[in-house]
Amino acid sequence: MSKILKQLSIFVENKKGELSDITTLLASNNISISSINLSDASDFGILRLIVSDNDKAKAILDEAGFSSRFTDVFAVEVSDHVGSFNSVIKALAKENINIEYTYTISNAQIGAFIFRISDRELNHAIKTLASDGINLLSEV
Amino acid sequence: MWNKIEGESREKISQTQLSRLQDTVTRVYELTPFYKEKFDELDINPKDITCLQDIQKLPFTKKQDLRNHYPFGLFTVPMSEVVRVHSSSGTTGKPTVVGYTQADMDVWDEVMARVYTMAGATAKDVVHNAYGYGLFTGGLGFDSGAKKIGATTIPASSGFTDRQIMLMKDFNATILAATPSFALHMYETAKKSGSDYLKDFKLKSGVFGAEPTSDGLKEEVSRVWGIDYHEVYGLSEIIGPGVSSNCKHSKLLHINEDHFYPEIVDHKTGKVLPDGERGELVITSLTKQALPIIRYRTGDITSLHREPCGCGRTMVRMESIVGRVDDMIIVNGVNVYPSQVEHVIANTEGVTLNYQIIADKKGHLDKIDILVEVNDDVLSDSVAEMEKIKKDIQHSLANNLYINANVKLVEPRSIERSMGKAVRVVDKRV
Repeated sequence: MSKILKQLSIFVENKKGELSDITTLLASNNISISSINLSDASDFGILRLIVSDNDKAKAILDEAGFSSRFTDVFAVEVSDHVGSFNSVIKALAKENINIEYTYTISNAQIGAFIFRISDRELNHAIKTLASDGINLLSEV
Repeated sequence: MWNKIEGESREKISQTQLSRLQDTVTRVYELTPFYKEKFDELDINPKDITCLQDIQKLPFTKKQDLRNHYPFGLFTVPMSEVVRVHSSSGTTGKPTVVGYTQADMDVWDEVMARVYTMAGATAKDVVHNAYGYGLFTGGLGFDSGAKKIGATTIPASSGFTDRQIMLMKDFNATILAATPSFALHMYETAKKSGSDYLKDFKLKSGVFGAEPTSDGLKEEVSRVWGIDYHEVYGLSEIIGPGVSSNCKHSKLLHINEDHFYPEIVDHKTGKVLPDGERGELVITSLTKQALPIIRYRTGDITSLHREPCGCGRTMVRMESIVGRVDDMIIVNGVNVYPSQVEHVIANTEGVTLNYQIIADKKGHLDKIDILVEVNDDVLSDSVAEMEKIKKDIQHSLANNLYINANVKLVEPRSIERSMGKAVRVVDKRV
């Protein structure tokens, strides 16, 4: 099973009610959000979501006038003990793979981190981690 | 060529112009108190017009003069002879009202037929007319010209974009008549609906106008639809669309100068400028019956060119409108035209063309914000890359136009976009 996850990146203006407009829109269309991260500059930001139905979410956002695109990421399971996250970073550093960003997600069962690596190095990163015995999630 | 006069010798055209100018001047002097008063003040009599250069002795007419005589005060025929009235949107105060006799309508049909012919249209074509029908001259002007050449006309008018696209495809439209911004909006809508637009549509050329348009936007419309772009210039005070348009040989627009006499003046001094120099376009109607107009200040900035054209037409050509005298904003002493800003944005890789300029005061200084819409094509997952787009545009504006603007990226469709016209400048200082 592919370890690549599709993350939806949405352009948002930094203004009141913007985030809730998007989350309300998705909720009212029965789309659940399993990870959420916001990276922002002074007057705009990029909202990054992993959702239950990509195509439907994209269509709804297009219709509502939001600009969005898919970005390939992967999720790594990180257990609750010292050095667990560090072992992932070390495995990537050893191969000189550059991390564009990473953020944590959690659901009831496990802790995990989303990693964004450039498209060029993405498959290499996944293979590296797998051969180091690190668990990559097929869904989050 | 629709009419052989379009390729007549200059001598013949000048003769026609002079006799028509003399008739027009006599007509307004005898029939309009407004003009009689103005002529008398300057001590001018219609008999003083003995050559075309004498036109420079005549007074100008301004938009405010039309407003002051709202609605029909400058008409030179009784209302029983007026068969049509149009009106331009009155964003400030009263609208301007214009009237046409049947003879005026015939002239309008004639010049619009020339426009369509220049765009390669014939009786075999299907014209999808997406200009708004109503008081605005666009809808009915492009309608009557299409009828004149015998083409099939689809009076789609504006709005209902999804349905328009369906009809354009199903009716096999070959010519699109629309504002450029609406043409681009139609493309975006077609793309979104997933229709295989280039394969499905039969369009070959388009007649576009009614709003200031940069080369970038023209190329964009031409490229996305895969059609020839023909620009049409006009204004209701003169006739509506049909004053001038370009043939396939160049981007310069042939003026139908047997009906509309053009001059370029310095917009501050009113002095006539030589060919090739940019200034305000001034037009005198040569054949209008209901509302003849002398030296009308269009507010549009352009230049005139008399070099021969490959198409064989001998009528003078004008550059596509560079800007508006009143749209031009002065930011900390620097003249800025929206079209220049549009050009800079278009040249900055990957940024959409929809924008709005907002001028405001910060203390005693002017400050300028430029909103630029982000779309899926330029969106990056990286905030740094988005910041770079913003900085690139700012640098480009500073380097090319000498203005320090704060560029703000905004969501798609957040800037008011026209059915009619896009709002490009908001000046909060006035």
